[in-house]
Amino acid sequence: MKKTLAAILLFVAWSAQATMVKPMSVEELTSEASAVIEGQAVETWSSWNAVHSRIYTFTRVRVSKTLKGTPADTVVVKQLGGSADGYTQHVSGVRAMQTGEDALLFLRPSEAHDGTMVVVGLMQGHFRYSRDTKAGSTIVNNGVLGAEELQSNSRQVQPYRGSALTLAQLEARVKKAASRE
Amino acid sequence: MSKSVRDILITCFLLAFGLAARPAFSWLPQFTGSSANIDRWDFTSFPVQWNLNPATGSNVSGSRDVHAVIAASFGTWLAAPNTTLGVTEGAQSIVGSEEQSASNVNLICFVCTDADFTKDNTTLAVTITTTADRAGLSDGHGGTAGFAGQIIKADIIFNPNITYTTGGTDGTDLQVVATHEIGHFFGLDHSAVVRAIMFPFAGDLTTLGYDDVAAISTVYPSMSQSFAPTSISGRVALPNGQGVFGAHVFAESTTGSLTIGGNLRKTPIGTITAPDGSYTIKGLPADIYTVSAEPLDDPVTKADINSYPSAFGQSSLQTNFTTRWH
Repeated sequence: MKKTLAAILLFVAWSAQATMVKPMSVEELTSEASAVIEGQAVETWSSWNAVHSRIYTFTRVRVSKTLKGTPADTVVVKQLGGSADGYTQHVSGVRAMQTGEDALLFLRPSEAHDGTMVVVGLMQGHFRYSRDTKAGSTIVNNGVLGAEELQSNSRQVQPYRGSALTLAQLEARVKKAASRE
Repeated sequence: MSKSVRDILITCFLLAFGLAARPAFSWLPQFTGSSANIDRWDFTSFPVQWNLNPATGSNVSGSRDVHAVIAASFGTWLAAPNTTLGVTEGAQSIVGSEEQSASNVNLICFVCTDADFTKDNTTLAVTITTTADRAGLSDGHGGTAGFAGQIIKADIIFNPNITYTTGGTDGTDLQVVATHEIGHFFGLDHSAVVRAIMFPFAGDLTTLGYDDVAAISTVYPSMSQSFAPTSISGRVALPNGQGVFGAHVFAESTTGSLTIGGNLRKTPIGTITAPDGSYTIKGLPADIYTVSAEPLDDPVTKADINSYPSAFGQSSLQTNFTTRWH
Protein backbone atom coordinates (compact mmCIF):
# COMPACT_ATOMS: atom_id res chain seq x y z
CA MET A 1 0.00 0.00 0.00
CA LYS A 2 3.00 2.23 -0.44
CA LYS A 3 1.33 4.31 -3.10
CA THR A 4 -1.58 5.18 -0.91
CA LEU A 5 0.63 5.58 2.10
CA ALA A 6 2.69 8.10 0.24
CA ALA A 7 -0.32 10.32 0.12
CA ILE A 8 -0.75 10.57 3.82
CA LEU A 9 0.44 13.54 5.75
CA LEU A 10 -0.18 12.42 9.25
CA PHE A 11 -1.62 9.50 11.01
CA VAL A 12 -3.35 10.38 14.18
CA ALA A 13 -2.47 9.58 17.74
CA TRP A 14 -4.66 6.53 17.61
CA SER A 15 -4.98 3.65 15.33
CA ALA A 16 -8.45 2.46 14.82
CA GLN A 17 -10.49 -0.41 13.63
CA ALA A 18 -13.96 0.90 13.19
CA THR A 19 -14.22 1.30 16.55
CA MET A 20 -11.32 3.52 17.28
CA VAL A 21 -8.58 2.64 19.68
CA LYS A 22 -5.43 4.26 20.91
CA PRO A 23 -2.33 2.27 20.02
CA MET A 24 -0.73 0.25 22.78
CA SER A 25 2.83 -1.03 22.86
CA VAL A 26 3.56 -4.65 23.65
CA GLU A 27 4.73 -3.50 27.06
CA GLU A 28 1.49 -1.63 27.71
CA LEU A 29 -0.54 -4.59 26.55
CA THR A 30 1.42 -6.81 28.91
CA SER A 31 0.86 -4.45 31.80
CA GLU A 32 -2.88 -4.27 31.21
CA ALA A 33 -3.26 -8.03 30.74
CA SER A 34 -3.73 -10.41 33.60
CA ALA A 35 -2.82 -13.28 31.31
CA VAL A 36 -0.82 -13.51 28.09
CA ILE A 37 -1.21 -16.82 26.33
CA GLU A 38 -0.57 -18.66 23.14
CA GLY A 39 -3.20 -21.10 22.04
CA GLN A 40 -5.62 -22.42 19.48
CA ALA A 41 -9.33 -21.70 19.11
CA VAL A 42 -11.15 -24.99 19.46
CA GLU A 43 -14.77 -23.85 19.64
CA THR A 44 -16.74 -20.70 18.92
CA TRP A 45 -20.37 -19.76 19.52
CA SER A 46 -22.49 -16.65 19.73
CA SER A 47 -25.51 -15.77 21.83
CA TRP A 48 -27.59 -12.85 23.06
CA ASN A 49 -27.07 -11.57 26.55
CA ALA A 50 -29.79 -12.10 29.13
CA VAL A 51 -31.68 -8.92 28.31
CA HIS A 52 -31.40 -9.48 24.55
CA SER A 53 -29.56 -6.26 23.89
CA ARG A 54 -26.14 -7.51 22.82
CA ILE A 55 -24.78 -10.49 20.92
CA TYR A 56 -21.45 -11.83 22.11
CA THR A 57 -19.15 -14.32 20.44
CA PHE A 58 -17.34 -16.74 22.68
CA THR A 59 -14.20 -18.64 21.72
CA ARG A 60 -12.78 -21.50 23.72
CA VAL A 61 -9.01 -21.37 23.44
CA ARG A 62 -6.76 -24.28 24.33
CA VAL A 63 -3.70 -22.78 25.97
CA SER A 64 -0.39 -24.10 24.66
CA LYS A 65 1.95 -21.60 26.31
CA THR A 66 1.57 -19.07 29.11
CA LEU A 67 3.71 -15.94 29.05
CA LYS A 68 2.03 -14.16 31.95
CA GLY A 69 -0.44 -15.13 34.64
CA THR A 70 -1.85 -18.47 35.62
CA PRO A 71 -4.72 -19.19 33.27
CA ALA A 72 -6.45 -22.56 33.10
CA ASP A 73 -5.70 -25.05 30.33
CA THR A 74 -8.57 -23.58 28.37
CA VAL A 75 -9.98 -20.07 28.52
CA VAL A 76 -13.15 -18.61 27.04
CA VAL A 77 -12.66 -15.32 25.23
CA LYS A 78 -15.72 -13.07 24.98
CA GLN A 79 -16.03 -10.54 22.15
CA LEU A 80 -18.77 -8.09 21.27
CA GLY A 81 -20.73 -8.92 18.11
CA GLY A 82 -21.75 -12.05 16.27
CA SER A 83 -24.83 -13.78 14.90
CA ALA A 84 -27.62 -15.40 16.93
CA ASP A 85 -31.29 -16.24 16.37
CA GLY A 86 -31.53 -14.61 12.98
CA TYR A 87 -29.76 -11.38 13.80
CA THR A 88 -26.20 -10.14 13.44
CA GLN A 89 -24.45 -7.44 15.40
CA HIS A 90 -21.41 -5.93 13.72
CA VAL A 91 -18.64 -4.17 15.53
CA SER A 92 -16.17 -3.37 12.80
CA GLY A 93 -12.65 -4.17 13.79
CA VAL A 94 -13.51 -6.74 16.39
CA ARG A 95 -11.95 -9.88 15.02
CA ALA A 96 -13.71 -13.01 16.05
CA MET A 97 -11.37 -15.96 16.15
CA GLN A 98 -11.89 -18.83 13.75
CA THR A 99 -11.90 -22.42 14.95
CA GLY A 100 -8.42 -23.82 14.47
CA GLU A 101 -6.80 -20.40 14.51
CA ASP A 102 -3.58 -20.00 16.46
CA ALA A 103 -3.02 -16.74 18.26
CA LEU A 104 -1.17 -14.95 20.99
CA LEU A 105 -3.65 -13.16 23.24
CA PHE A 106 -3.41 -10.47 25.87
CA LEU A 107 -6.38 -11.06 28.15
CA ARG A 108 -8.10 -9.67 31.20
CA PRO A 109 -11.20 -10.87 33.04
CA SER A 110 -14.54 -9.65 31.72
CA GLU A 111 -16.19 -7.01 33.85
CA ALA A 112 -19.30 -9.17 33.77
CA HIS A 113 -17.54 -11.52 36.19
CA ASP A 114 -18.86 -14.44 34.20
CA GLY A 115 -15.59 -16.34 34.05
CA THR A 116 -14.78 -15.20 30.53
CA MET A 117 -11.80 -13.18 29.38
CA VAL A 118 -11.70 -10.20 27.04
CA VAL A 119 -8.95 -9.08 24.70
CA VAL A 120 -6.98 -6.09 25.96
CA GLY A 121 -7.23 -3.05 23.71
CA LEU A 122 -10.16 -4.52 21.79
CA MET A 123 -8.28 -6.10 18.88
CA GLN A 124 -4.77 -4.92 19.66
CA GLY A 125 -4.23 -7.73 22.11
CA HIS A 126 -5.01 -10.33 19.45
CA PHE A 127 -1.91 -11.29 17.48
CA ARG A 128 -2.49 -13.61 14.56
CA TYR A 129 0.19 -15.86 13.12
CA SER A 130 1.50 -16.01 9.60
CA ARG A 131 4.45 -17.86 8.16
CA ASP A 132 7.38 -16.03 6.60
CA THR A 133 8.50 -18.77 4.25
CA LYS A 134 11.55 -16.81 3.16
CA ALA A 135 12.89 -16.32 6.66
CA GLY A 136 11.41 -19.53 8.00
CA SER A 137 9.91 -17.79 10.98
CA THR A 138 6.45 -17.17 12.38
CA ILE A 139 5.29 -13.58 12.08
CA VAL A 140 2.73 -12.21 14.49
CA ASN A 141 0.50 -9.30 13.63
CA ASN A 142 -2.23 -7.50 15.48
CA GLY A 143 -3.34 -5.76 12.33
CA VAL A 144 -2.05 -2.32 13.12
CA LEU A 145 1.19 -2.56 11.21
CA GLY A 146 2.78 0.36 9.53
CA ALA A 147 0.93 2.98 11.46
CA GLU A 148 2.51 6.11 12.71
CA GLU A 149 1.31 8.09 15.62
CA LEU A 150 1.13 11.78 16.12
CA GLN A 151 2.62 12.71 19.47
CA SER A 152 0.03 15.02 20.94
CA ASN A 153 2.56 17.07 22.87
CA SER A 154 5.38 17.47 20.38
CA ARG A 155 3.24 17.09 17.23
CA GLN A 156 6.00 14.78 15.96
CA VAL A 157 5.08 11.80 13.84
CA GLN A 158 6.82 8.64 14.93
CA PRO A 159 6.49 5.01 13.99
CA TYR A 160 3.90 3.22 16.01
CA ARG A 161 5.62 0.38 17.74
CA GLY A 162 3.08 -2.33 17.99
CA SER A 163 3.63 -3.86 14.70
CA ALA A 164 5.09 -6.84 12.89
CA LEU A 165 7.26 -9.03 15.02
CA THR A 166 8.40 -12.56 14.92
CA LEU A 167 6.75 -14.76 17.48
CA ALA A 168 10.08 -15.17 19.24
CA GLN A 169 10.54 -11.39 19.45
CA LEU A 170 7.07 -10.88 20.82
CA GLU A 171 7.49 -13.62 23.40
CA ALA A 172 10.75 -12.07 24.55
CA ARG A 173 9.21 -8.62 24.95
CA VAL A 174 6.24 -9.95 26.85
CA LYS A 175 8.41 -11.96 29.23
CA LYS A 176 10.69 -9.01 29.82
CA ALA A 177 7.79 -6.67 30.50
CA ALA A 178 6.11 -9.18 32.79
CA SER A 179 9.30 -9.74 34.76
CA ARG A 180 9.40 -6.05 35.64
CA GLU A 181 5.99 -6.11 37.31
CA MET B 1 4.52 -4.31 1.95
CA SER B 2 4.57 -7.89 0.88
CA LYS B 3 7.89 -9.34 -0.08
CA SER B 4 6.28 -12.02 -2.13
CA VAL B 5 8.04 -12.61 -5.38
CA ARG B 6 5.14 -13.50 -7.59
CA ASP B 7 4.54 -11.05 -10.33
CA ILE B 8 1.07 -10.14 -11.09
CA LEU B 9 -0.55 -9.47 -14.37
CA ILE B 10 -3.22 -6.87 -14.16
CA THR B 11 -5.61 -6.97 -17.02
CA CYS B 12 -7.15 -3.57 -16.85
CA PHE B 13 -10.21 -2.91 -18.87
CA LEU B 14 -10.49 0.80 -18.39
CA LEU B 15 -14.06 1.49 -19.15
CA ALA B 16 -15.15 5.03 -19.00
CA PHE B 17 -18.72 4.28 -18.08
CA GLY B 18 -19.81 1.27 -16.21
CA LEU B 19 -20.17 -2.40 -17.14
CA ALA B 20 -20.14 -3.76 -13.62
CA ALA B 21 -20.16 -7.53 -13.99
CA ARG B 22 -19.48 -8.71 -10.45
CA PRO B 23 -20.24 -7.38 -7.02
CA ALA B 24 -17.12 -5.47 -6.17
CA PHE B 25 -17.13 -2.43 -3.98
CA SER B 26 -15.26 0.80 -4.19
CA TRP B 27 -14.97 0.81 -0.39
CA LEU B 28 -15.57 -1.82 2.24
CA PRO B 29 -19.14 -2.44 3.31
CA GLN B 30 -20.33 -4.62 6.10
CA PHE B 31 -22.02 -7.86 5.15
CA THR B 32 -24.60 -10.04 6.79
CA GLY B 33 -24.74 -13.76 6.17
CA SER B 34 -22.87 -15.82 3.62
CA SER B 35 -23.89 -13.81 0.60
CA ALA B 36 -22.70 -10.54 -0.75
CA ASN B 37 -25.67 -8.61 0.64
CA ILE B 38 -24.39 -5.35 1.99
CA ASP B 39 -25.75 -3.93 5.20
CA ARG B 40 -27.92 -0.86 4.85
CA TRP B 41 -30.90 0.92 6.29
CA ASP B 42 -34.23 1.02 4.48
CA PHE B 43 -35.35 4.56 5.21
CA THR B 44 -38.84 3.81 3.89
CA SER B 45 -39.70 0.97 6.25
CA PHE B 46 -39.58 2.94 9.52
CA PRO B 47 -38.27 6.32 10.67
CA VAL B 48 -34.54 6.17 11.29
CA GLN B 49 -33.49 8.55 14.01
CA TRP B 50 -30.47 9.06 16.19
CA ASN B 51 -31.10 9.52 19.88
CA LEU B 52 -28.47 11.28 21.91
CA ASN B 53 -28.04 11.05 25.61
CA PRO B 54 -26.25 14.39 26.05
CA ALA B 55 -24.99 13.57 29.52
CA THR B 56 -21.23 13.36 29.82
CA GLY B 57 -18.68 12.99 32.52
CA SER B 58 -15.79 15.34 33.15
CA ASN B 59 -13.92 13.55 30.38
CA VAL B 60 -15.63 15.74 27.77
CA SER B 61 -14.77 19.42 27.59
CA GLY B 62 -14.52 22.17 25.05
CA SER B 63 -16.20 25.06 23.38
CA ARG B 64 -19.17 23.16 21.97
CA ASP B 65 -21.70 20.86 23.58
CA VAL B 66 -21.75 17.26 22.46
CA HIS B 67 -25.07 17.73 20.71
CA ALA B 68 -23.53 20.27 18.38
CA VAL B 69 -20.65 17.93 17.61
CA ILE B 70 -22.84 14.92 16.91
CA ALA B 71 -25.23 16.98 14.79
CA ALA B 72 -22.32 18.36 12.79
CA SER B 73 -20.93 14.88 12.30
CA PHE B 74 -24.24 13.56 10.97
CA GLY B 75 -24.47 16.68 8.87
CA THR B 76 -21.18 15.84 7.20
CA TRP B 77 -22.62 12.58 5.92
CA LEU B 78 -26.03 14.03 5.07
CA ALA B 79 -24.32 16.61 2.87
CA ALA B 80 -22.56 13.95 0.79
CA PRO B 81 -23.30 14.43 -2.91
CA ASN B 82 -25.44 11.93 -4.83
CA THR B 83 -26.69 10.54 -1.55
CA THR B 84 -30.03 10.37 0.22
CA LEU B 85 -29.91 9.58 3.91
CA GLY B 86 -33.30 9.55 5.56
CA VAL B 87 -32.09 9.92 9.09
CA THR B 88 -33.17 12.63 11.48
CA GLU B 89 -32.56 13.55 15.06
CA GLY B 90 -34.97 11.89 17.45
CA ALA B 91 -35.86 12.48 21.05
CA GLN B 92 -32.99 12.67 23.44
CA SER B 93 -32.38 9.76 25.76
CA ILE B 94 -31.53 9.62 29.44
CA VAL B 95 -30.56 5.98 29.73
CA GLY B 96 -27.19 5.00 31.16
CA SER B 97 -27.16 1.62 29.51
CA GLU B 98 -28.26 0.30 26.17
CA GLU B 99 -30.05 -2.43 28.08
CA GLN B 100 -32.53 0.23 29.22
CA SER B 101 -33.07 1.51 25.73
CA ALA B 102 -35.98 0.55 23.47
CA SER B 103 -35.30 -1.45 20.33
CA ASN B 104 -36.30 1.47 18.12
CA VAL B 105 -33.79 3.84 19.73
CA ASN B 106 -30.42 4.34 18.06
CA LEU B 107 -28.54 5.42 21.10
CA ILE B 108 -25.52 7.71 21.13
CA CYS B 109 -24.15 7.67 24.61
CA PHE B 110 -21.19 8.99 26.57
CA VAL B 111 -22.08 7.53 29.95
CA CYS B 112 -23.26 4.04 29.08
CA THR B 113 -21.81 1.23 31.06
CA ASP B 114 -22.51 -1.84 28.95
CA ALA B 115 -19.49 -1.87 26.65
CA ASP B 116 -16.96 -3.22 29.17
CA PHE B 117 -14.93 -0.02 29.19
CA THR B 118 -14.25 -0.22 32.91
CA LYS B 119 -10.56 -0.97 32.61
CA ASP B 120 -10.16 0.20 29.04
CA ASN B 121 -8.62 3.56 28.32
CA THR B 122 -7.60 2.72 24.77
CA THR B 123 -10.87 2.07 22.97
CA LEU B 124 -12.31 5.43 21.96
CA ALA B 125 -15.78 4.32 20.93
CA VAL B 126 -17.68 1.39 19.49
CA THR B 127 -20.52 1.31 17.00
CA ILE B 128 -22.78 -1.71 17.12
CA THR B 129 -25.10 -2.24 14.17
CA THR B 130 -27.83 -4.85 14.33
CA THR B 131 -29.01 -6.43 11.09
CA ALA B 132 -31.61 -9.03 10.21
CA ASP B 133 -30.14 -12.17 8.69
CA ARG B 134 -33.18 -12.68 6.46
CA ALA B 135 -36.38 -11.00 5.40
CA GLY B 136 -39.47 -11.43 7.55
CA LEU B 137 -37.86 -11.11 10.95
CA SER B 138 -39.09 -8.48 13.36
CA ASP B 139 -37.47 -5.13 12.71
CA GLY B 140 -38.00 -3.88 16.24
CA HIS B 141 -40.25 -1.13 14.95
CA GLY B 142 -43.50 -3.07 14.69
CA GLY B 143 -42.80 -4.44 11.23
CA THR B 144 -40.57 -6.98 9.56
CA ALA B 145 -37.24 -6.75 7.83
CA GLY B 146 -37.45 -6.53 4.08
CA PHE B 147 -34.10 -8.10 3.21
CA ALA B 148 -31.05 -9.80 4.64
CA GLY B 149 -28.62 -7.22 5.90
CA GLN B 150 -31.23 -4.59 6.69
CA ILE B 151 -29.94 -2.51 9.55
CA ILE B 152 -32.60 -2.23 12.21
CA LYS B 153 -30.59 -0.60 14.99
CA ALA B 154 -27.26 1.13 15.54
CA ASP B 155 -25.72 2.37 18.74
CA ILE B 156 -22.59 4.44 19.24
CA ILE B 157 -21.02 4.17 22.65
CA PHE B 158 -18.16 6.50 23.56
CA ASN B 159 -15.69 5.36 26.17
CA PRO B 160 -16.14 7.48 29.29
CA ASN B 161 -12.49 6.86 30.18
CA ILE B 162 -11.25 8.85 27.19
CA THR B 163 -10.59 12.58 27.43
CA TYR B 164 -12.50 14.22 24.59
CA THR B 165 -12.46 17.77 23.36
CA THR B 166 -15.21 19.48 21.47
CA GLY B 167 -12.84 22.32 20.63
CA GLY B 168 -10.22 24.45 22.31
CA THR B 169 -9.15 22.02 25.00
CA ASP B 170 -6.77 19.09 25.19
CA GLY B 171 -8.01 15.67 24.31
CA THR B 172 -9.15 13.50 21.47
CA ASP B 173 -11.18 15.45 18.92
CA LEU B 174 -14.72 14.22 19.40
CA GLN B 175 -15.88 15.17 15.91
CA VAL B 176 -13.15 13.07 14.28
CA VAL B 177 -14.26 9.99 16.17
CA ALA B 178 -17.97 10.73 15.78
CA THR B 179 -17.75 11.21 12.01
CA HIS B 180 -15.92 7.92 11.62
CA GLU B 181 -18.34 6.07 13.87
CA ILE B 182 -21.35 7.51 12.07
CA GLY B 183 -19.97 5.96 8.89
CA HIS B 184 -20.37 2.64 10.67
CA PHE B 185 -23.86 3.71 11.78
CA PHE B 186 -24.74 3.75 8.07
CA GLY B 187 -23.22 0.30 7.54
CA LEU B 188 -19.83 1.20 6.16
CA ASP B 189 -16.82 -0.83 7.14
CA HIS B 190 -13.26 0.38 6.84
CA SER B 191 -11.76 1.73 3.69
CA ALA B 192 -8.25 0.81 2.63
CA VAL B 193 -7.81 4.26 1.13
CA VAL B 194 -5.61 6.52 3.16
CA ARG B 195 -7.31 9.85 3.97
CA ALA B 196 -10.79 8.40 3.70
CA ILE B 197 -12.74 9.12 6.87
CA MET B 198 -13.38 5.37 7.03
CA PHE B 199 -9.68 4.51 6.85
CA PRO B 200 -9.05 2.70 10.11
CA PHE B 201 -6.12 4.92 10.97
CA ALA B 202 -8.16 8.00 10.44
CA GLY B 203 -6.27 11.19 10.99
CA ASP B 204 -7.47 14.50 12.27
CA LEU B 205 -10.07 14.69 9.53
CA THR B 206 -13.71 15.61 9.84
CA THR B 207 -14.56 15.92 6.16
CA LEU B 208 -15.35 13.16 3.70
CA GLY B 209 -12.95 11.98 1.05
CA TYR B 210 -13.99 10.94 -2.42
CA ASP B 211 -13.81 7.30 -1.36
CA ASP B 212 -16.30 7.98 1.44
CA VAL B 213 -18.59 9.68 -1.06
CA ALA B 214 -18.33 6.69 -3.39
CA ALA B 215 -19.27 4.46 -0.47
CA ILE B 216 -22.24 6.31 0.90
CA SER B 217 -23.63 7.30 -2.51
CA THR B 218 -23.47 3.72 -3.74
CA VAL B 219 -25.30 2.32 -0.74
CA TYR B 220 -27.79 5.18 -0.54
CA PRO B 221 -28.01 6.67 -4.03
CA SER B 222 -29.91 9.85 -4.67
CA MET B 223 -32.29 10.35 -7.57
CA SER B 224 -30.80 13.77 -8.13
CA GLN B 225 -27.08 13.77 -8.75
CA SER B 226 -24.69 16.65 -8.42
CA PHE B 227 -22.10 14.84 -10.52
CA ALA B 228 -22.35 11.93 -12.95
CA PRO B 229 -20.50 8.98 -11.46
CA THR B 230 -18.46 6.76 -13.72
CA SER B 231 -16.71 3.47 -13.08
CA ILE B 232 -13.63 1.50 -14.01
CA SER B 233 -13.73 -2.26 -14.37
CA GLY B 234 -11.00 -4.81 -14.84
CA ARG B 235 -9.46 -7.99 -13.53
CA VAL B 236 -6.43 -8.76 -11.38
CA ALA B 237 -4.73 -12.05 -12.21
CA LEU B 238 -1.52 -13.93 -11.65
CA PRO B 239 0.67 -14.75 -14.66
CA ASN B 240 -0.99 -18.14 -14.89
CA GLY B 241 -4.33 -16.45 -15.37
CA GLN B 242 -5.69 -17.25 -11.94
CA GLY B 243 -7.78 -14.41 -10.61
CA VAL B 244 -6.66 -12.75 -7.38
CA PHE B 245 -9.33 -12.52 -4.72
CA GLY B 246 -9.18 -9.68 -2.27
CA ALA B 247 -6.70 -7.41 -4.00
CA HIS B 248 -7.12 -3.76 -3.09
CA VAL B 249 -7.55 -1.88 -6.37
CA PHE B 250 -7.77 1.86 -6.35
CA ALA B 251 -8.04 4.66 -8.86
CA GLU B 252 -6.02 7.76 -8.20
CA SER B 253 -6.51 10.94 -10.15
CA THR B 254 -3.55 12.19 -12.10
CA THR B 255 -4.93 15.71 -12.06
CA GLY B 256 -4.87 18.05 -9.14
CA SER B 257 -8.22 19.62 -9.65
CA LEU B 258 -11.23 18.95 -7.46
CA THR B 259 -13.89 17.37 -9.57
CA ILE B 260 -16.69 17.27 -7.00
CA GLY B 261 -17.89 20.41 -5.32
CA GLY B 262 -18.46 20.80 -1.61
CA ASN B 263 -16.32 20.41 1.45
CA LEU B 264 -14.63 17.22 0.31
CA ARG B 265 -11.11 15.94 0.02
CA LYS B 266 -9.78 14.37 -3.13
CA THR B 267 -8.69 10.83 -2.36
CA PRO B 268 -8.20 7.66 -4.33
CA ILE B 269 -11.30 5.52 -4.62
CA GLY B 270 -10.81 1.85 -4.06
CA THR B 271 -12.38 -1.54 -4.24
CA ILE B 272 -11.64 -5.15 -3.41
CA THR B 273 -11.57 -7.78 -6.14
CA ALA B 274 -14.13 -10.56 -6.37
CA PRO B 275 -13.10 -14.26 -6.27
CA ASP B 276 -12.35 -14.30 -10.03
CA GLY B 277 -10.19 -11.20 -9.71
CA SER B 278 -12.71 -8.89 -11.31
CA TYR B 279 -13.43 -5.47 -9.94
CA THR B 280 -15.49 -2.40 -10.62
CA ILE B 281 -14.57 0.87 -8.99
CA LYS B 282 -17.79 2.82 -8.76
CA GLY B 283 -18.67 6.37 -7.91
CA LEU B 284 -15.79 7.98 -9.78
CA PRO B 285 -16.12 11.57 -10.90
CA ALA B 286 -15.02 12.07 -14.50
CA ASP B 287 -11.24 12.48 -14.42
CA ILE B 288 -8.00 10.82 -15.54
CA TYR B 289 -6.87 7.99 -13.28
CA THR B 290 -4.03 5.64 -12.58
CA VAL B 291 -5.27 2.25 -11.42
CA SER B 292 -3.19 0.28 -8.93
CA ALA B 293 -3.55 -3.12 -7.34
CA GLU B 294 -1.93 -3.99 -4.05
CA PRO B 295 -2.18 -6.70 -1.41
CA LEU B 296 -4.14 -5.93 1.73
CA ASP B 297 -1.20 -6.51 4.01
CA ASP B 298 -0.59 -3.15 5.65
CA PRO B 299 -1.88 -1.13 7.40
CA VAL B 300 -5.35 -2.40 6.57
CA THR B 301 -5.12 -6.15 6.44
CA LYS B 302 -7.36 -8.98 5.49
CA ALA B 303 -8.03 -9.45 9.19
CA ASP B 304 -9.77 -6.10 9.24
CA ILE B 305 -12.42 -7.12 6.75
CA ASN B 306 -13.02 -10.68 7.80
CA SER B 307 -16.66 -10.58 6.70
CA TYR B 308 -15.61 -10.03 3.10
CA PRO B 309 -14.27 -13.53 2.25
CA SER B 310 -17.27 -15.32 3.75
CA ALA B 311 -19.62 -13.08 1.82
CA PHE B 312 -18.12 -14.58 -1.32
CA GLY B 313 -17.84 -18.10 0.00
CA GLN B 314 -14.08 -17.83 0.37
CA SER B 315 -11.89 -18.61 3.37
CA SER B 316 -9.37 -15.82 2.99
CA LEU B 317 -8.07 -13.01 0.82
CA GLN B 318 -4.94 -13.40 -1.30
CA THR B 319 -1.91 -11.29 -0.53
CA ASN B 320 0.68 -13.31 -2.45
CA PHE B 321 1.56 -10.65 -4.97
CA THR B 322 3.27 -7.32 -5.19
CA THR B 323 1.89 -3.91 -5.97
CA ARG B 324 1.43 -3.00 -9.63
CA TRP B 325 -0.15 -0.06 -11.34
CA HIS B 326 -1.19 0.86 -14.85
